[in-house]
Amino acid sequence: MIESGFDRRDFLKVLGWGGTAVALSGCGNTSVQDGKETVVSYVEASDYMIPGVSVRFNSTCTQCEAGCSINGRVREGRVLKLEGNPDSDINRGKMCGLGQAGVQHHYNPDRLKEPMLLNGDQSQSVSWEAALKLINDKLQGVSGDQIAFLTGTVSGHVKALLGNFMESVGSKHHFAYEALSSAVLRAANKKSYGVEMPRYSLDKAKVVVSFGADFLGAWVSPVHFSQQYSRFRKGVDGQRGVLVQIESKMTLTGANADRWLAIRPGTEGVLALGLINALGAAGLSLPAEVAAEVKAYDKARVSKETGVAVGHIDKLVALLRTRTPSLVLAGNGPDGFAQGSENVAAINLLNQVLGNVGKTVEAPVSAPFAQLQATNGDSASLYKLNEGMARGQYKVLFACGTNPVFSAPASLKVAENIKRVGFKVAFAHYLDETAQQADLVLPLDSSLEDWGTHIVAYQPGEAHIGIQQPLMEKLHANTRGAGDILLALLKSRRAEEYKAFEDYYAYLRAAVLQNKAALGGGALDDEGFWEQTLSKGLIRVAGSSAALSTSTVVAAVPVATAENPDYPLTLIPGITPNLRDGRYANQPWLQESPDPLTTIVWDSWVEIHPKKAAELGIAEGDIVEVISRTGSIKAQAYLFPGIHPEAVSVPLGRGQNWGRYAKGFGVNPFQILDPVFDKQTGELALNDTRVKIKKSGKRVIVIKDEGAAGGKQMGKKIAVRASTDEVDLSKEV
Amino acid sequence: MYRFIRFSTLLVGLFIAIQGYAAEAPLTTADDLGPAVEQPIEFPHNRHAGKHDPSDPSKGGMEIDCQYCHTYARRSSIAGIPPLQKCVGCHNNIESVKDKPRIKKLFEAWEAKKPIQWKKVHDLPDFVRFNHERHIKRFVEQQGHTSQEACGYCHGDVKNMTVARRQKSLSMGWCASCHEKAHTVAASGVDVGKQAYWYTFQKPATTAKVPEDIKAKGPNDCWQCHK
Ligand code: SF4
Repeated sequence: MIESGFDRRDFLKVLGWGGTAVALSGCGNTSVQDGKETVVSYVEASDYMIPGVSVRFNSTCTQCEAGCSINGRVREGRVLKLEGNPDSDINRGKMCGLGQAGVQHHYNPDRLKEPMLLNGDQSQSVSWEAALKLINDKLQGVSGDQIAFLTGTVSGHVKALLGNFMESVGSKHHFAYEALSSAVLRAANKKSYGVEMPRYSLDKAKVVVSFGADFLGAWVSPVHFSQQYSRFRKGVDGQRGVLVQIESKMTLTGANADRWLAIRPGTEGVLALGLINALGAAGLSLPAEVAAEVKAYDKARVSKETGVAVGHIDKLVALLRTRTPSLVLAGNGPDGFAQGSENVAAINLLNQVLGNVGKTVEAPVSAPFAQLQATNGDSASLYKLNEGMARGQYKVLFACGTNPVFSAPASLKVAENIKRVGFKVAFAHYLDETAQQADLVLPLDSSLEDWGTHIVAYQPGEAHIGIQQPLMEKLHANTRGAGDILLALLKSRRAEEYKAFEDYYAYLRAAVLQNKAALGGGALDDEGFWEQTLSKGLIRVAGSSAALSTSTVVAAVPVATAENPDYPLTLIPGITPNLRDGRYANQPWLQESPDPLTTIVWDSWVEIHPKKAAELGIAEGDIVEVISRTGSIKAQAYLFPGIHPEAVSVPLGRGQNWGRYAKGFGVNPFQILDPVFDKQTGELALNDTRVKIKKSGKRVIVIKDEGAAGGKQMGKKIAVRASTDEVDLSKEV
Repeated sequence: MYRFIRFSTLLVGLFIAIQGYAAEAPLTTADDLGPAVEQPIEFPHNRHAGKHDPSDPSKGGMEIDCQYCHTYARRSSIAGIPPLQKCVGCHNNIESVKDKPRIKKLFEAWEAKKPIQWKKVHDLPDFVRFNHERHIKRFVEQQGHTSQEACGYCHGDVKNMTVARRQKSLSMGWCASCHEKAHTVAASGVDVGKQAYWYTFQKPATTAKVPEDIKAKGPNDCWQCHK
């Protein structure tokens, strides 16, 4: 936010003069470095290594859980640019912006480079030998029940190693934590369809009704769904697919919809049941128990509770009746409430009565190796760990690639409870909020330097094992992969078993080759199969496909959150395609690329409906305080018609206390979330925080592309259409 | 002052170039010496590429083709520097010079697997993409010039140098002085041969024979170099 008197015009003036100065001094070849710059040759070069000619290697993107297969361009031993791997069923040669920024994770100047002992503000570099010895010493005489290992979603061989390590220390306390997870969806799906993650086929649907599923932005597998979406828009049988998005806060997908409906936060399940009732009335045959259950949800009541006009309900019903098959999705809107599971169940029920199960909701294919299958992170597991820490149960805690101190609500006191653990080890890329609490920090390889295998939760095609391989040499000599660290720890426990594996790479290679036949490489020799695997960057395996259950499960009735006059608004934390839960906030491309809806950069904002803003006397740029029962944050107000008047939204992912591109930019709404949990799964109800808003009296200029400052150019037209030879440049300037 | 000199040199170069075209003379341009650069190893180009002296083989050169060592030039836009491996490959078998200080330095670097920190002699601004591969393809492979001649257009008479020194200005005007010579472009600057743009500060001279047309030898589009 700009608070000084330095406005855009001054900025442009300075920029102009600066530019002129540069231009003048640039008339000679000042950028030429004859005789000054060094040029270094290879000592030994392989045949394919030619300066100026790039080589491409396939690997797997680890920036989000979709696990797209990527193709990195490497020149002179440096990775320059990532593209999608066309061979992958997940992303078919495409990538998203978040994935692109992966190179900035790799080259990030704030990466940790040495193992470090931390003591308050003091830090001291130690050798790997000393670090591992320290861990082994601390594990001495500690029972398995006193050891916990916290990770994010983990799959593949590193998960297998982790399992073996935990077994070797006799602990069962592995917690997989993701602040933004689809755990509620998975649990509800399991009940409705018999599987956690069916395959959604947007491209077979003629109408998609999405309850807050931002499948083009940040939901499940956005690159994959974007491609399905383009086919859906081209249409089945010449009918262009119609997208209706129902949510309380507009997402990128909502902005693309044919019809966007604002719904009162948390009432998605009511609307779903109301739609079922109305569909029944319009002639859709409903199973008797369903009809009985939804009878109470007449249009008038549903409209009153959800805020969706009766007219819109009628239109939706007509649309769903005339266009089949359809697809109904439940995303990060409805699942973030105390009644989240019921909301999702009601939406799934809608799919069932519409007969979409088996047509647009299809059976998934699962990879055959159970031990490599993903352990999906959820937030409930963190709270379990947190309770244990509060009780003082744990003596040793490992945390790998996850940052709960940043992403858990402050009221849960994770930072304080971690202090009660005797010895904390963080495997980390950066000295983030959680690593700062550790006693020992172990620097990890970047994902472009490390080996790995990934089996993602959402498998759109055949079962797919993503291969992650280094695209270049390590940037820093003293970082290690999580697999390497686990292997080293295992070696000091089970030397016999692991002595054959020099490093994680050797382990991975041996483990893959051991299953060569099952992985479809029976006809090749080891070397040949390994080469093929690395060059493809993925392994496709014949998976087994579970049948979906089509029996309807009647949802329990969702209860809307009670009104609270002291806190009249609902806070919906915004999940943006760029920043997600904030672990990548230190990648400046993600900070500087404008938010797709508000076009704001490098800062947080409070989305508020213009009507509500007028009521509260708030104008754009007012610094407002968002106060919940457990804390408050201050950010600039942004008036946005794409939000329900009873809700406000602050994007997640900013407000870190570390990193040169993250620290000091924006605020962290995770901190003020109320400790409300989904009743069935124990997941944090992300959208169920009640807040009030207070003006602070300060006002700033909102830095954004769109609107008066960016769009109008002071009344000047900015683009003229004329061919170049018609234009007299002397008159234009 | 420096700019003035550069510009005059450029004009002189241009003048000579155009003269050269008129007389169908071989491709030569005026020299514009770069700074003398001190290298970590004073590499004797003359000893490697210079003329063989049958009367005293220890003095003369060995007439090694430029591309024998600079192999990347024909395969990439960037010529690069030959890998150390290349030097060692031959010098391992040349006992007679193994005790020379320069060769000792070479082997020290090789044993330590440390690349030699050469200083750049030819550098272009970052907004210019010069493509070695295309020039070698055209002049050596298609037209059959020798490497020494073709490389020499821009790098000068390297076979008579020890460490290389920049010989030509490598400025845009200097590049264009060759590129102007063989494409059909109207003197007014309007494209005839589908070139999009002509930099007017060097409007091509017309000849008496074809008053409206002149020829340039290379592509004329801005984007050929400024991509
Ligand atoms: S969706 Fe984007 S960030 Fe996620 S894996 Fe694919 S490319 Fe990477």
